Amino acid sequence: MADLKLRGWAIGAALLIGLGLVLKGAYPISLFNIVAISMLIAVAFRFVMLIGEQSFATSAFVGLGAYGAGVATTLLDWPFAVALVIGPLVVLVVSLAFGMLTLRIKGPYFMIIGFAFSEFVRIMLTKTAVIGGVSGMPGIFPPREMDPWLPAFVAAVVVALMFVLYLAEKSDYGKVLLAIRDNEDIARTVGLDVLFYKVSCFMIASFCAAVAGSLMAFVNNVISPGDFTFLVGAYALAYVKVGGEKSLFGAAGGAVVLVLLGSYALGLGAGEHLFYGGAIILAMLLMPEGLFGMAGKLCQRIGLKRSAAR
Amino acid sequence: MNAPMTAPGDVLLRTDGLTRRFGGLVAVSNLSMEVRPGEILGLIGPNGAGKSTTFNLISGFMRPSSGRLEVMGRDCTGLSPVKISRLGLARTFQHGSYMKSMNVRDNILVGTMHTMARASAAERARRVEETADILGLTPHLDTIASALPHGLQRLVSIAIAFATRPRLLCLDEPLTGLNQTEVAAALDVFRKIRQEFGATILLVEHNMKAVMNICDRIVVLHHGQQLATGTPQEIRRNEAVISAYLGTRHEH
Repeated sequence: MADLKLRGWAIGAALLIGLGLVLKGAYPISLFNIVAISMLIAVAFRFVMLIGEQSFATSAFVGLGAYGAGVATTLLDWPFAVALVIGPLVVLVVSLAFGMLTLRIKGPYFMIIGFAFSEFVRIMLTKTAVIGGVSGMPGIFPPREMDPWLPAFVAAVVVALMFVLYLAEKSDYGKVLLAIRDNEDIARTVGLDVLFYKVSCFMIASFCAAVAGSLMAFVNNVISPGDFTFLVGAYALAYVKVGGEKSLFGAAGGAVVLVLLGSYALGLGAGEHLFYGGAIILAMLLMPEGLFGMAGKLCQRIGLKRSAAR
Repeated sequence: MNAPMTAPGDVLLRTDGLTRRFGGLVAVSNLSMEVRPGEILGLIGPNGAGKSTTFNLISGFMRPSSGRLEVMGRDCTGLSPVKISRLGLARTFQHGSYMKSMNVRDNILVGTMHTMARASAAERARRVEETADILGLTPHLDTIASALPHGLQRLVSIAIAFATRPRLLCLDEPLTGLNQTEVAAALDVFRKIRQEFGATILLVEHNMKAVMNICDRIVVLHHGQQLATGTPQEIRRNEAVISAYLGTRHEH
């Protein structure tokens, strides 16, 4: 197996979790949590891009994850650990069925079905009185003794899942996903069950999106259907495109940059959406490989100049 | 109807009255042919003769309108490409049948993923290196496939198919766009694959000289019909084939 950059991962994880431990003040902590959760949504969205698809069902799965946590905590009084995973487990089943039905089609068609599914789920959430309808569910709290550790816990879960996705991508399994993106027919002619790979990839990504959702529920304490419009998927696409889709680090970095800039853009009111749209367009025009792709090229050029100078 | 010359177990692939219609067009009409173990069988014909359709039919990418397909002695009519490939039939495609964003090593590795699913990573790596060696791709293992010259890209697509170590290797115009030296090298590779690995090869090709040179038997298609079958010598002397390819004298 290729170089896994284990040292880089250890340092990155330590830094992120450490930051989660030392941060003080409600605003920095909430911003930190949102950044971490957005990173997870971004890398989950990008994982489906490995097979060449864009899953706007991501919004629905983030929402189902969040509502799983909400229902388990406020209505059923289930323990935190169960509430955290119940949504993602449900999403595994839902994404299996959704994937089996829809991953036979590709490109824009798959994208549109994802959009439609997300809107369907959101509207169903607004129509269901027992989970609060349009106004959503308040009071989704983690256990009291978790409070000081919550940002570090969020960071740890996010890093762990990112690492799982990274390992999957670098493994033989990940190579098959890329092969399917490049040329599905070849995968078939060498005996690979393309639908199995596509559906499993989609399930893994959807599970991660749902975990992001259930973390979001515990971090914000309040959720409503309005939090899970198709914009969640659109933002995820923006994170990936701005950061650079070539690597998982690009997608995660794009989330960090855009969420931080976006927290400023919040002050712009309705201009916020223009901000994200503008960011995608600018990124695709000026740096087609994203911030991280460009940074990589810059490093290469500096490196080349150095070796030329010798 | 030609009675089969060999017992069912002796034939890797047999089609019986295989037909495919597209609306009013009959792309392949009542094709009955067989591929025998160890041979290199050429499938030739002018443009639009139905060669590619035949290839899609026997590899499961298209379903026949009527007729029967048998692969490795089993009825495979209407089976999916995956199921047929798992019986030991590998194919390439006419246009760019490789993964453009992956390096040559990973391209070939994909070919081993299913057939060597239970093997260790080291065994698979050995298979990849052995395959690259036979096709002369060893110096290019770490090059991204899209960056290779056209001739080498052709070899990569053969390498992927051959990495499955198929009993029957079906090559769709593997020599198109190659220069003379490359063609000669590719023909050597085909012979080597047969000799050292006992693979049988079904070859669709435009390059008549190469086909005459390497094939044991040739099937000629014309307007979806099976025009002739025989050894290169027989085909070369066949009146019907000559007129299909060159036009008859009084047509001029």
